Amino acid sequence: MKHALLFLIVPALAWPQSLGEKVFAQSCATGYCHGAKGTPAGAPRLAARGFDQAYITSTIMRGLPGTAMPAFGATLPRADLTAVIAYVASLNGIVNPSINLGPGPGGAGPPEPALSAEAERGRALFFDALRGFSRCSTCHEVNGVGIPVTTAIAKIPTDAAALRALATPDIRTATVDGEAMPALIVSQAKTRALFYDLTSAPPVLRTVDPNALKVAEGSAWRHASVIGAYNDAELASILAFLKEAIKP
Amino acid sequence: MRFLLVLLAMGAACAQDAPRPDGATHADWPHYGGTQFSWRYSALDQVNAGNVKNLVPAWIFQTGDYAENLQATPIVVDGVMYLITPRIQVFALDAATGHLLWQYKYPTPRPGKPGGMTFVQNRGVAVGDGKVFFGTTDNYLVALDQKTGAEQWRVSVDDPRQCGCDITAAPLVVKDKVIVGGNGGDAAHRGYLTAFYTKTGRFAWRWYVIPGPGEKGHDTWKGDSWKLGGGAPWMTGSFDPQLNLVYWGTGNAGGDFNDEDRLVPGAKGKEANLYTASVVALDADTGKLRWYHQEVPDDVWDFDSAYECVLIDRAINGQMRKLLVHMNKSGVTFVLDRVTGEFIGAFSVPEVQTWISGITEDGKLVGRREPEAGKVVNICPSAAGAKSWNSTAYSPRTGYLYAPINEVCNDLTSTPTEAMEGRSHANGGFSLKLPPDRKTYSHIDAWDPMTRKRVWSMPYRYVLLASVLATAGDLVFTGDPEGDFFALDARTGNKLWSYQTGAGNRGSAVSYSIGGRQYIATPTGWQQAIAGAQLAPLFPDQNWRGGSTLIVFALPVVPSEVSK
Repeated sequence: MKHALLFLIVPALAWPQSLGEKVFAQSCATGYCHGAKGTPAGAPRLAARGFDQAYITSTIMRGLPGTAMPAFGATLPRADLTAVIAYVASLNGIVNPSINLGPGPGGAGPPEPALSAEAERGRALFFDALRGFSRCSTCHEVNGVGIPVTTAIAKIPTDAAALRALATPDIRTATVDGEAMPALIVSQAKTRALFYDLTSAPPVLRTVDPNALKVAEGSAWRHASVIGAYNDAELASILAFLKEAIKP
Repeated sequence: MRFLLVLLAMGAACAQDAPRPDGATHADWPHYGGTQFSWRYSALDQVNAGNVKNLVPAWIFQTGDYAENLQATPIVVDGVMYLITPRIQVFALDAATGHLLWQYKYPTPRPGKPGGMTFVQNRGVAVGDGKVFFGTTDNYLVALDQKTGAEQWRVSVDDPRQCGCDITAAPLVVKDKVIVGGNGGDAAHRGYLTAFYTKTGRFAWRWYVIPGPGEKGHDTWKGDSWKLGGGAPWMTGSFDPQLNLVYWGTGNAGGDFNDEDRLVPGAKGKEANLYTASVVALDADTGKLRWYHQEVPDDVWDFDSAYECVLIDRAINGQMRKLLVHMNKSGVTFVLDRVTGEFIGAFSVPEVQTWISGITEDGKLVGRREPEAGKVVNICPSAAGAKSWNSTAYSPRTGYLYAPINEVCNDLTSTPTEAMEGRSHANGGFSLKLPPDRKTYSHIDAWDPMTRKRVWSMPYRYVLLASVLATAGDLVFTGDPEGDFFALDARTGNKLWSYQTGAGNRGSAVSYSIGGRQYIATPTGWQQAIAGAQLAPLFPDQNWRGGSTLIVFALPVVPSEVSK
């Protein structure tokens, strides 16, 4: 019996840190929030609380509104989510967790299945924080990341030249207080009009009195000018990413 | 001859004194720090040491947003108060009566909200150019019409799902721009300040805390660590209009408690990871760096320097100097020349201090005691801070800086982890511990920043996490977690008045006047998460209450005056 116990314990100590424990250490146990191995810190203790599986899954996925507990379903890749949910379950004595993340994109980071090397390069370029507001994700959301200024990307241009020459019939010319600007109209209700001012990046969502807004078809705005920070090879990688990441 | 000398001396004095900016507030409380000199000092003196005992509530406003706490600094302009709650509801109130003029509710993302490090709190709005500006939990900067509360523009500063950042600081309006910093220094993220034009919301400039390739200071980062090295300037800066300089404190380098991935070999003890844990001066028009002073090179304690820059003019060796006083979480307080960034002096405010053995004459830290991988090292003060974001106050009448200081240590662990964009990158953790052999764990101090001496200190049993307000009535106001909001004599520290507000104090009190009546307003509501929750378990017999109520005090109106 003693032997068997040892056998059970030793692997747990000797095995490399599990993915769930790693995700937990990185995303949950910082001292600001929970403590290592589910001990209490800035946020409450998680170990041996008698949580059931449904509660653990729901809280990690959707967060606890009104508290600092975020919805990790919006930020972690699915593999990490499954692993960290199983880890917190193990802290609560649940040995064989049955985890159902539910439908939906669930998770930032590399979409599944894994991307080709070129598409992976394109993904990094699309979301490249070092480019500040010159990156694609300033206006486009793909798989739950990026700012959805435009509607979801549906048709993917064939090459860099086509991406530059993209037709943008939705972009019109708005005039407010005598100033004309390229604009993407969001809504024009009786009491207020919403549009994105595309004069410079990032786009500014403006709310104006509809009577003070004049909209004309057409604009001098060109997609080529806002993607100027990328060269042809980079744009080709970005297109490869879009082709793999966006399923019709 | 004598006559001539006097005339010359007067001429020099006039030239120097001509437009000396005033760091005091008067009828209004127009900015986060009172004025943009961040004194948190009101020149109003109707309420003074003699009559403060008569203060009574004039009105009370319950926000109804009981998310966690109420931390915001109320802004008061022309008799209207602007107040924001943690879940981004903005209220405009008649500041004499508390009557609601308008309210606005930001469509906070549901359910929960995205972001790696997410805090439910907001430190305040900024008012200027006929608008009310604020940051959001999902990292937008928003402008409302000051008169109606109608939204005018909204701009995404960064994608929180990617950068793990959000905005809790009050923005700073500087001329035709509004400047905002963000959280995210403890997530793998490259910190920055961003300025937008107040009129249109269009982008004006961005200053990255961490220099990019080819920029000066870039070589103080190992490998690619600069890309995700933290430094987020997550609080509110100051502005000197004469020098046209904006001053800001920057956050700690990331990962917090282990520097293996970011420290250039051989750089230990030298300037490192620029411009994290520093005070910086930026050109207000362009955002270009003019000077910097790094307070904590290679910060491995999460001591941050993201806090208020107090701009004061004081004489040194008979000569008036433009100075900047700045305290970071270690409690070490730096006095700098704000024209050049020249180091003038430093002093350490906590009584229990083990992280360094001292500071050299030229401001270098010596005898660093650091966390070690694979060990637990007890270090004082803690990552929760001798003082954190809650602000000090400065009175030009006494010349003292008033600071709430906590005496708490922490057990630090240091674990190198891979930086993953937008995810927490603490590289270890901290567990708060009380220092042995003490009966009190905090105090409110009056420090003379010129002599670097503590003038008085008022001890408190638990911890203090509210900002301080100083007034020309020679009073110092702040509150404690048990719920007492109180006034101290600015010259002696003696407690003169106290009022049980019903919830823990974690906010920032202000003073203003309408129709000749001086008001003192304080937000109440203890914060249950983050520092509040980390510190609360140290005192298990206590149950500090959350809430979201603003209480406004004034001297009673004499009935005969009312009948007039």
